Amino acid sequence: MRFSLNFIKEFLEVKVSAQKLASLLTMAGMEVERLEKLGGDWVFDIEVTSNRYDWLSILGIAQEAAACLNKKAKVKYPLLLKKPLLKERKIIIEDSKDCPLYIARVMRDITINRSPSWLGERVLNCGLNSINNIVDITNYSMLKWGNPLHAFDEDKIEGNIYIRRAQKEELFAGIDGKQRILQKENLVIADEKKVIALAGVMGGKNSEVDKNTKNVFIEAAIFSPLTIRRSARAAGLDTESSYRFQRRVSADCLEYACAEASKLIQDLGGGRLSGYKEAGRKPMPVRRKIAISLIQLNTFLGDNFSLGIVKSILSRLNFTVKNVSRDKIFVLVPCSRFDIKREVDIYEEFARIYGYEKIRPQIPFLVSQLRDTGYPQAGLYQFKNDLRNFLSFLGLREIITYSIEGGQDLTKLGERNAINILNPLREQENVLRSGLLLGMIKSIKYNLNRAKNNLRFFELANVYKVSEDGYQEKPCLSLAATGEGDNFFYLKGAMEEILRYLNTKAFQFKEASLTNFTHALEIIVNKKRVGFLGKLDEKIKKMFDLKENLFFAQLDVSFLMQSKEDKSYKPFSPYPVIFRDISIALRKDIKFKQIENIIRENTKGYLSGYYIVSTYQGKDLDENLTAFTLRISYQSKEKTLTSHEVDSLHGSIREKLNEAEGVILR
Amino acid sequence: MEEKIKSLEKAFEEDCQKAATPKEFEFLRIKYLGRSSRLSQFFSQLPNLIPQERGIWGKRLNCLKQKMTALLANEARGPLKDEENFDLTFPSSPFQLGSRHILTTVNQKICSIFENLGFAVAEGGEIEDEWHNFTALNIPLEHPSRDVFDTFYLDIKEKNNGKYLLRSHTSPSQTRIMKIGKPPLAVISPGRVYRPDEVDATHSFMFHQIEGFAVGEDLNFAHLKGVLLHFAHKFFTPEITLRFRPHFFPFTEPSAEVDISCFVCRRKKEKGASRDTLHASRKCSVCKGKGWLEVLGCGMIHPQVLDNCEIDSKKYKGFAFGMGVERIAMLKYGIGDIRLFYENDVRFLEQFSI
Repeated sequence: MRFSLNFIKEFLEVKVSAQKLASLLTMAGMEVERLEKLGGDWVFDIEVTSNRYDWLSILGIAQEAAACLNKKAKVKYPLLLKKPLLKERKIIIEDSKDCPLYIARVMRDITINRSPSWLGERVLNCGLNSINNIVDITNYSMLKWGNPLHAFDEDKIEGNIYIRRAQKEELFAGIDGKQRILQKENLVIADEKKVIALAGVMGGKNSEVDKNTKNVFIEAAIFSPLTIRRSARAAGLDTESSYRFQRRVSADCLEYACAEASKLIQDLGGGRLSGYKEAGRKPMPVRRKIAISLIQLNTFLGDNFSLGIVKSILSRLNFTVKNVSRDKIFVLVPCSRFDIKREVDIYEEFARIYGYEKIRPQIPFLVSQLRDTGYPQAGLYQFKNDLRNFLSFLGLREIITYSIEGGQDLTKLGERNAINILNPLREQENVLRSGLLLGMIKSIKYNLNRAKNNLRFFELANVYKVSEDGYQEKPCLSLAATGEGDNFFYLKGAMEEILRYLNTKAFQFKEASLTNFTHALEIIVNKKRVGFLGKLDEKIKKMFDLKENLFFAQLDVSFLMQSKEDKSYKPFSPYPVIFRDISIALRKDIKFKQIENIIRENTKGYLSGYYIVSTYQGKDLDENLTAFTLRISYQSKEKTLTSHEVDSLHGSIREKLNEAEGVILR
Repeated sequence: MEEKIKSLEKAFEEDCQKAATPKEFEFLRIKYLGRSSRLSQFFSQLPNLIPQERGIWGKRLNCLKQKMTALLANEARGPLKDEENFDLTFPSSPFQLGSRHILTTVNQKICSIFENLGFAVAEGGEIEDEWHNFTALNIPLEHPSRDVFDTFYLDIKEKNNGKYLLRSHTSPSQTRIMKIGKPPLAVISPGRVYRPDEVDATHSFMFHQIEGFAVGEDLNFAHLKGVLLHFAHKFFTPEITLRFRPHFFPFTEPSAEVDISCFVCRRKKEKGASRDTLHASRKCSVCKGKGWLEVLGCGMIHPQVLDNCEIDSKKYKGFAFGMGVERIAMLKYGIGDIRLFYENDVRFLEQFSI
């Protein structure tokens, strides 16, 4: 909300500079977001938190400023003239829940003019347009008292006034010139024939005050905050008026606001009050009485305030404070402060005017017993963090991609049971992903398009899907590699490293056929499928216009966490390792697994490990063969193996391999 | 024989004196110790001698060989042949480094500061129900206080006719943990949150928050200040000052927004901060000349929230705070556009290796 310092000064003596005042208000909770000099005035732009409807009026702001400056605001209340009574029309409120009170004042023989400069300035400096004397007066009153008023052209109203819900598909043209089809959510002001205003939101074009207006009908009312909220939302409108009604307006100021408006119209527009009428009943003003204990206030704030200072601060806010005992006080809350309901609200009022700054910080001794709560996510954070560190040690880069994706793209990847968003912003972000592939494809593509290749990425994020008992949300890990090198085996190796890091003993890879992938493997731990890896299918590559081969793996993080095993030191053999190489040409229809089995079965517990030293791709090689050199390492836990022992062991492996089908020793 | 040996020894010594570079010494090694050297010829004549002489001359030759070897080894320490022209200005080998994402690094840094104070870390789910995200936190339906929490709703049926949604803040972790845990509690809960905001340089429909809260019998507002001051000093710099500005949150009372003094322009040090804060002529690009940067929201947990979670608000008090990880990372590292976090450009990622 914008307000003008000169306006405030009508009610409060302000001797400090505008900057100083802004700083005081900010530190009391009325954050001044902008301060601007405008002619001889200062304009403050403040953030009004949703609990403080009273800051939507100059008088409310003046009260707050007065509390900050330790002064009293002075307000002159206008005479409440309620005669003569309006006889020409009846005012009929359909439901008092929507509108507890409605006051009408009819002013006759007015002259529409430009506003005098002081009035125009007040309205302009508070961020509203200056229209004419009548409209400006109603806006001035709204700004000052916080109660939105509306002026109708009396001569455009036909018959009685009804405050009622809109009929189905009733039409309404607002002063903004737009035609709207109303619904039952809309509360309207209507005469016998037409809707003349969207109550508390906007006046109608058909009853607008114009340059020829002679007589005006001034409306002042209390509308239900919830009704106005729904009505404004249904109409897609957000106005100065609806903004205030939604947060509720003060019934006490209502009468003053319209009485002052009619007085001003008389003074500036030359009219006279020709009729007054009210319908409904003014809600009884409530002054809450809250008992607080000084000891409790001090233990809550962590300081040692005296009763004297507490009382003096609260009275600056117009709270009436009564002593009950040395510790207890009764606080009588001003009617305008609906937001003050219980002890803690009083603690806050005291603390913010006293100054949060002045409360000295302390460090508490904290005991956390989360472990005992059985909170389902306990431990997951640490596990994921360790995993992140480990994966970056492996040389992969962590990425973060959006959990919300376009349903069309996800469907292309065959994702099913994904959760739709009911109110998406755009079609590109309307579904919660059930896998991490799409985000990875996009990030890889983004970088390939910027001439970055040889990418190694991972992401740790949740995936979501509909399930029988509602939904399932689970943490997943994705890995991807593109570019040089044998990326399939890079990823396979990365997965082995992860499982080794987790100290998972029994894991195995199983060939699988998976959508979106060719050459796919599944990883099985304890008979559970923990994840998969594969080469992205050409079709998918084309679909997403990906220029490089992409190798992708996804693992279930909860399963990984379950398969983690505690580590303890394992003694290693002090005896030397001896290796022997063996060159093999393998027929392409025979799997390496066969060779592995032969080696494992024939090493008599002396196998220390094996790996591929080199692969051969000469022209002389039959294209049905894969040639490579395997290095087998031998070691005993009990003794130093002699070269004779190793040779005989190695020899027997050679023999067995030689007998195996499709294996040619070179 | 002795003469021949002596002459060889002499020639060797003379040559050694002349030699200077490693290359020349290598040449000498071949000349005097190589396969076709005179020394090796002498050795090959040994088997022709009678056994007695064989022993004497053998020793003599071995002595000389050792002497020559030692001398050459001493002299020829420098790089050999190819290594002589070794170009040290050649570019270094490339490393394929991994990296953590800056957001998870910042996240972990923040969490670990609180962990050291006694907080435990627990993540919550991103799909939430209205009760945990709003109702329990004192944010009633169709209330203006819910306006700041625009929320994505999900197409999943809930048994109690409520709605499932994507959490719009990390505070539902607070209500979930309080509901099943018994005080004292001190928990920090990081994670992704979602709000239907159009994406621009400072907005994103997905971002990260960290929620922290503690519940105990004698926790107070001064403790909240102390904990957050400690955090700011550890995470930013000890020179920083904090400003607790009263604010409104439905789930805390009293509530505050916390600003840190701008560590870029340090405007706070100048007297009469208010003048600078609101009317700075030369504006700092980080704090826009205000001198203060808003970093988090906090307050004492509203007693109604404690009661909603079945914690006796007469006996227990608590404090809570929440902060946006992106915002803090942007401030700390001078990152001007929130979209950089989710584009995953390697040129961005590689700047924050672990």
